[in-house]
Amino acid sequence: MRRPLEIKAEEASVRSVVSLTSALETLSSMQIAKTKNKVLISNQFFDEVWNIYKQIRVDVMFNYGRSVDETPIDKELLILITAKGGLSGDIDNRLIRKVVEHYDETKNDILVIGHHGALKLKQSHIDHTYYFDLPEHDYVNVDPLMDITRKYAKSRIYYQNYISLSQQEIKDVDLSDVVSSKGRVADLSTLSEDMVSEKTYIFEPGSYAVASYLENSILRLTISQFIYDSRLAQVASRFKAMSAAKERSITNASELHTEYNRSKRSQVDTRLKESMAGLKKLRAGGAE
Amino acid sequence: MADEKPQPEITEPAQTTPRSNGKLTMAIKIYAPFKIYYEGEGYSLSAVNATGPFDILPHHHNFLCMLVPCEIKVQTPDGEKVIKIHRALMHVKADSVTVFVDV
Repeated sequence: MRRPLEIKAEEASVRSVVSLTSALETLSSMQIAKTKNKVLISNQFFDEVWNIYKQIRVDVMFNYGRSVDETPIDKELLILITAKGGLSGDIDNRLIRKVVEHYDETKNDILVIGHHGALKLKQSHIDHTYYFDLPEHDYVNVDPLMDITRKYAKSRIYYQNYISLSQQEIKDVDLSDVVSSKGRVADLSTLSEDMVSEKTYIFEPGSYAVASYLENSILRLTISQFIYDSRLAQVASRFKAMSAAKERSITNASELHTEYNRSKRSQVDTRLKESMAGLKKLRAGGAE
Repeated sequence: MADEKPQPEITEPAQTTPRSNGKLTMAIKIYAPFKIYYEGEGYSLSAVNATGPFDILPHHHNFLCMLVPCEIKVQTPDGEKVIKIHRALMHVKADSVTVFVDV
């Protein structure tokens, strides 16, 4: 059995892990509330822009805002949105596993957002072609990313989706499909009065220029929305990981405390036994 | 005696336009994904697009345009509000003006 002092020292170090994980859990909980609120506000904004886009482009093919004479690279660009650092649970590992299943060196190029994802990808022996830091501020400038996306024939986004505090999932979508499906209107007859057309609206500088601008805006908003969703899922995953770590360290500390008590009692028992034995010996010596 | 020409009957538009201090107003919202720059009534809104500077007044025709970097000036019952923008989309419909900033 280990010595009580040794166990006590280990228990103290586990108790400090409890305090640390507890602080990180509280911090994540605050971040979740803040990020969730921001996602809700931004979704309202995005929905209004989507609504205009729906009305203006019911039969236009989405082409990433490319002009007709631009020839795209005949590869699929995989865009990975990951956390900027560790302490975000297993969410990035799950995303990388999903990418690795799909990845084909000859058919794909990879763009990573977030340092942690780039690191995990390297551990899987896959090199990324482009890298961006995960934006921390509210305003996300996705223009450099859009310039890259436009070069490719197809783009697929791997992102993290928040379902609940305990559940986050990894999703992958074709960028073109998601824009088309969101812009598609289920029932065209519902649009008859609100339709945005040259008959009912004045466009400046012109209808094609506005439609093209909107197409770029929608691509920009779609990517931004995925980044905001991923950020929310990452803080939720961090909260989950910190809660689990806290629970584990509390159990560990409690087990160590029991072990310490047992060891202490055992030490006292041993000393008592030794004293009794010594006493017996002394009494036996006195009797002789 | 010449027949008196019937005077055209002045009628209010079917859709009543809101007024403030006796002046016609319109609903104006200028916002970005995380920030509302202005939301409320306004008498007019001035901005700049690729064609040049322009004003939006109540009863404006449905209008969709891209704004170039400029200062949006809104005349409100509380005075003039000036909002500097880099990039925006403006949508005008039924006396409601929405400016989507940073799209």
